[in-house]
Amino acid sequence: MNVRESFALALSSIWNHKIRSILTMLGIIIGVSAVIIVVAIGDGARQQMADDLFSTDENAIPLYFEQTTYEENGEMMWVEPPAVTGEQLDAVKEVAGVKYVLGTNSGWGTMNHNEHTADMEIIGVDNQYFIAKDLTLLEGRRLNTRDNDSYSRVAMIDSLTRENMFAADEEAVGAIIDINDNPYKVVGVYESTLPPEFRHMDEFSNGQMLMPRTLISMMFGSPEIDTINVIADQPDNLTETGFAAAEKLTELTGSEEGMYVAEDMSAYVEEFDSFYMTITLFISSIAGISLLVGGIGVMNIMLVSVTERTREIGLRKALGATRGQILRQFLIESVTLTSLGGLIGIGFAALVTAVAAVFLPFTPIINPVVVIVGILFSSMIGIVFGILPANKASKLSPIDALRYE
Amino acid sequence: MIRLSQITKTYGSGSLAVPVLRGIDLEIGDGEFVAIMGPSGSGKSTLMNIIGFLDKQTGGTYSLNGEDVKQANEKQLAGLRNRHIGFVFQQFFLLPRLNAQKNVETPLLYAGVSKKERSERALGLLEKVGLKERTGHLPSELSGGQKQRVAIARALVNQPTVILADEPTGALDSKTGAQIMELLTELNREGKTVIIVTHEEEIAACTDRIIVLRDGLIVDDRKVTS
Repeated sequence: MNVRESFALALSSIWNHKIRSILTMLGIIIGVSAVIIVVAIGDGARQQMADDLFSTDENAIPLYFEQTTYEENGEMMWVEPPAVTGEQLDAVKEVAGVKYVLGTNSGWGTMNHNEHTADMEIIGVDNQYFIAKDLTLLEGRRLNTRDNDSYSRVAMIDSLTRENMFAADEEAVGAIIDINDNPYKVVGVYESTLPPEFRHMDEFSNGQMLMPRTLISMMFGSPEIDTINVIADQPDNLTETGFAAAEKLTELTGSEEGMYVAEDMSAYVEEFDSFYMTITLFISSIAGISLLVGGIGVMNIMLVSVTERTREIGLRKALGATRGQILRQFLIESVTLTSLGGLIGIGFAALVTAVAAVFLPFTPIINPVVVIVGILFSSMIGIVFGILPANKASKLSPIDALRYE
Repeated sequence: MIRLSQITKTYGSGSLAVPVLRGIDLEIGDGEFVAIMGPSGSGKSTLMNIIGFLDKQTGGTYSLNGEDVKQANEKQLAGLRNRHIGFVFQQFFLLPRLNAQKNVETPLLYAGVSKKERSERALGLLEKVGLKERTGHLPSELSGGQKQRVAIARALVNQPTVILADEPTGALDSKTGAQIMELLTELNREGKTVIIVTHEEEIAACTDRIIVLRDGLIVDDRKVTS
C-alpha cells in the first residue's frame, strides 16, 4: 500500500465520521486561524502606520527647533526659532550622508482663474527642490535661483490644477493667474505628487503650487525657511544622517535657548513593534495552548478509532499487513486530520481578515510565511499526537484483534 | 507441503502456564482436503493460527514447503500470511465501508500489486465465485452466502498455497453452507490445499481426511471413504 492509497483511505475514514472529525479539528482550526489573524492584523496596522509616517518622503527626515530654555525671571518664555538662511543649509549639505537639505515655507492662497476659485497650498521652494523631490516637469520650466533672488512673481502649477482650472486646449505656461487678488505668471507645470487619499480632500482637490520661497516670505510675512527636510544618500542611514545634520545646524545658528533635532520616525515604528510583539506573543501562547489541547483531542479520538477498528486491524494483519503498514495507515490518518484542520483554519483566517478589512481603518496583510508554518505545524501535531495511537494499533496481535467483540 | 513436528503451545508461564498444544506431529501434502475437528478447548483454533502464521508455536518445528519458519520475525510472518495463506472466517470479516471488489483487493494492497492488476484479479475471482453482478455492492447489501463468497475470493486473490477456513459455514443456513462447501471442494479439485476447522460431522465428511484433536493432541487421523 503506497502513501497515496493510505491517504485516500484516511480521507474516507475522516469523511465517514464528519461531525467527529470537525469537532476534533476544532482546536487546530482555532489555533492556526488565531495566529494568522493576529499576525495579519498586526502587519496591516504596522504597514498603515509606516505609510502614514513616511507618506511624504520615505527618504526625508524633518529637522525642527526645540527650545531648551523655558523660563526667564520666573516667567514662561517662548523661544522664536532662529532665522535660517540658504547659506547655512548649504553648509549643512556638506555633512556626511546628506544628499539634499530642503528649506521651504508655505502659505494658503485663493486662486482665481477662468471663473474657477480654489483655495490651495503654495509651497515656497528654492532651485534644488524640484530635483531633490524628483518631480516631473510636464510643461514650461522649473523655478531657478534668479526667481528667488529677484522675488519674481512666478508660479509652477501641478497637473491637478492644470486639469481642474484650465481648459484642455488652453496654454498654461505664460498664463496670468490671480492669487489673493494679485497677478502671477505660470512658468511651468509638474506632475502632482499628492497621494490619492489627499486628492479627495476639498483643500487639495485642485492641487498644490510652487513659488519662490522669497516671494512667499514677502507675501505672507513668514520666515524664508520654516520647514527643513534632510534627504539622505542611503535611506538606511536616514536617522543618523538627520541627527548629524541637526547638530550642524544648531552649531551654525548659534542659538543658546534651543537646538535643532531630527524627528526620529523609526522610533515610533520600533515602539509599535515592541507593543505588537507583546500582543502577538500573548495571542500565540493562547493559540499554542489551543493547538496543544487540539492535539490531545486528536490523540484521544485516534485512540477511540483504534479501539473501534480493532477487528479491522486484526483482519488487515491476517491479510498480510505488516506492523509498519498499520502504523503508517494510522499516522497518515492523524496527519491528514490535523493538516485538514490547519487548512480549514487558514480558510477561516482568510475569511475573517477579509471581513475585518471592511470594518478596520486598514487592510490586514496575511503573511505567507505564517500560513506555511501553520500547515507544517498542524501536520507536525498530527505526527506527534498520532504516534501513540498508531503504535498501539500496530502492536495489536491479529488473533486477539480478530476475536475482539 | 506443511510439516509440523512436536509442536507445543503454552499460554502464560510458571504456575499459571496453560498448555494448549502438547506435541503435534502432522503432515499435510499439497492439494489435500483436510478437516480439523475437536471439541472446544481441544486446541484446533490454536493449531490453525499456527499453521496460518497468526501465532507462533512455543516449541517444535513448522516448515512450509521445506522451509523452517521458526526464525521468521513479525514482518516476515506478515509476508508469509500474505503470500501463502488465504483465510476464510466464520464471521466473514469483510471491511464494511469497502465494496466487494475493494474487499477482495485488500491483500493485494499489502503485496504491492498495481492498481490495474488488482482490479483485474479481483473482478476475475468475483466472477469465479458467482458474484459478477455484485462487485460494487457493500457487504451490508449482500446475503450471508454472498459475503462468504467475497471472503473466499479475497482468500484466493494472492494465489496462496493454502486456504484456511475456520468454521466457514458456521454462520450460514444449511443450504447456503452446502453451496460454500461445494465451492471449497471445487477449489481443492483445482489443486489448492484446503484446511477446514469445524465441529460439524457433515462438513468434515465432505473432505478427504479428518484430523481429530483432544486436549492438545491428535487422537485420530483418518481418510474419508465415500
